[in-house]
Amino acid sequence: MGDARRVGDSGEAELTRYVVRRILLAIPTLFGIVVLVFLLLHLAPGSPVSASGSPESGRRVSGAAREEMRRLYDLHLPLPERFGKWIGRVVRFDLGESFVDRRPVSERIREALPATLALNGLALLLTLAIAIPLGVVAGGRPEGPFDRISAVALFALYSMPVFWAALLLQSLLSVELGWLPLYGVSSDDAPGGIAGIGDRLAHLALPVTCLTYGSLAFLARIVRAGVVDARSQVYFTAALARGVSRRAALWRHAFRNALLPVITLLGLLLPGLLSGSVIVERIFAWPGLGRLYFDSILSRDYPVVLGLSLVGAVATLAATLAADVAYAFADPRVRESA
Amino acid sequence: MIRRLPGSARVALAFVLLLWIVAAVSPAFTARAADIRLEERLLPPSLAHPFGTDDLGRDLAARVIAATPISLTIGLVAAAVSVVVGFGVGAAGGYLGGVADLLLSRLTEVVLCFPVLFLLLALAAFLPPSPATVVLAIGLTTWPADARYARAEILKAKNLDYARAAKAAGARPARVVLRHLLPNALPPLLVSAAFGVSWAILAEAALSFLGVGLPPPAASWGGILSAAPSYIEEAWWLALFPGLALFATVSAYNLLAEGLRQATTEAGGI
Repeated sequence: MGDARRVGDSGEAELTRYVVRRILLAIPTLFGIVVLVFLLLHLAPGSPVSASGSPESGRRVSGAAREEMRRLYDLHLPLPERFGKWIGRVVRFDLGESFVDRRPVSERIREALPATLALNGLALLLTLAIAIPLGVVAGGRPEGPFDRISAVALFALYSMPVFWAALLLQSLLSVELGWLPLYGVSSDDAPGGIAGIGDRLAHLALPVTCLTYGSLAFLARIVRAGVVDARSQVYFTAALARGVSRRAALWRHAFRNALLPVITLLGLLLPGLLSGSVIVERIFAWPGLGRLYFDSILSRDYPVVLGLSLVGAVATLAATLAADVAYAFADPRVRESA
Repeated sequence: MIRRLPGSARVALAFVLLLWIVAAVSPAFTARAADIRLEERLLPPSLAHPFGTDDLGRDLAARVIAATPISLTIGLVAAAVSVVVGFGVGAAGGYLGGVADLLLSRLTEVVLCFPVLFLLLALAAFLPPSPATVVLAIGLTTWPADARYARAEILKAKNLDYARAAKAAGARPARVVLRHLLPNALPPLLVSAAFGVSWAILAEAALSFLGVGLPPPAASWGGILSAAPSYIEEAWWLALFPGLALFATVSAYNLLAEGLRQATTEAGGI
């Protein structure tokens, strides 16, 4: 721990040291991700490990697919060499070709990416826009009426399975009331360009809602806890004593401190959103990464499954790394004690 | 310990017990749940069929009841696997420290980087279909959270006097951890396990809903729900009731976990 009052050059040097250390620690994790995906490959039917395994229904693969696996992943080579080749390909960003349509895996991922980004980007913005004010207001008066009611509501949302929520929303808002489309990205008869935006938004409404409410409940509770904690700190009391209004003290002092843990959590929200995408995109027939992953699992398209797992995990690692670094810049305590 | 639970958690505990009683008497409903009557397909809820009937004319209420033991048991066993693996990894890292801790912490971080459902789907689809596969897939993807709790608890306790005394008396690391440190790390682990059960029930439901969970004829709530999307425009009850059972169960376990957390942190141990 450095001296709490130390500022200037030495603080910056320590910040740099912290960031460098954090990046160095990410290297073995990155290596671990590559190894884990390599191990996943060996679970796949048709691979050396599972070839002798169970001959159970539907999970066998044809001779041709097995041959393909051999060629693609060098399964005839001994383990160390095979691993070396795998690393070599990962380093070159060569994820192989899809078994289904022979196109490069990276191309298929790039195609599905925009649909998922739109869905998850909107969901993330909506999560932050609702969760933060909700948490601040609830935490501003712990055990007050708003806090109690929102706690129950958030708890219910938190426990609600996403596929159930999706089905209920579909049957209520789409089937019964006919307000929103059941699924898909846009209607066949929708006008193009600007005029089609309304139609697109209507199609986005249900899937975005389904991806939002879970992380919203989670995040609002974290913000609330942060605000409650900040209220008991000396600086909050000091602000009130200086004559700052309760509202201003809450938003200017407690809120800013409660925001810090949110930065770290942002990185961790990514894998959750991707998981949610698998279910939401399947129910709403949304042509994104989640559906690509699920379809590839069903059609035993291993190159796509492995490629997407790798990309998803590396993206999460990058996001958590970025979040930790951002945290270090935002929090003077980390900045000076790293 | 029950006395220290807040009221909501006691209600939740009673509900969980009730669910297990339902599970115990559910074999009485299995025949009814498997009874296919095509002339009664997709009937809305009525007195004869309180939850309606499904696409094969089976009574939905009987099916939901008959699925109770599967969903509950898989949730419990998968959470147990997760806690055991998580405790093993977390406690070993926390106690041994140094390189072992560095490596085990990286391992935990690696698994956390993967979207849980990606790993779950890959494991469940690639391994031979069976209840054991589902349990292992869930346990092996959700342990990192337990590992983090266990590591933090062991780190806190390992330099306390009683642990050092045990070590000085010649106890081996495994004995110090299991006999001395584990009992003290138990309350937070119990909380983590209770949240883990609700998580595992949800995970199994998601797998079965997506069609890669338990092989038929076994049907969990998620498995029953998997028919709902096809009939979304005509039979809302197919989605409502199995999901309601799932939601109530998950809420109860979450409430119980939350109550345990309050009881253990505010009152300082169970």
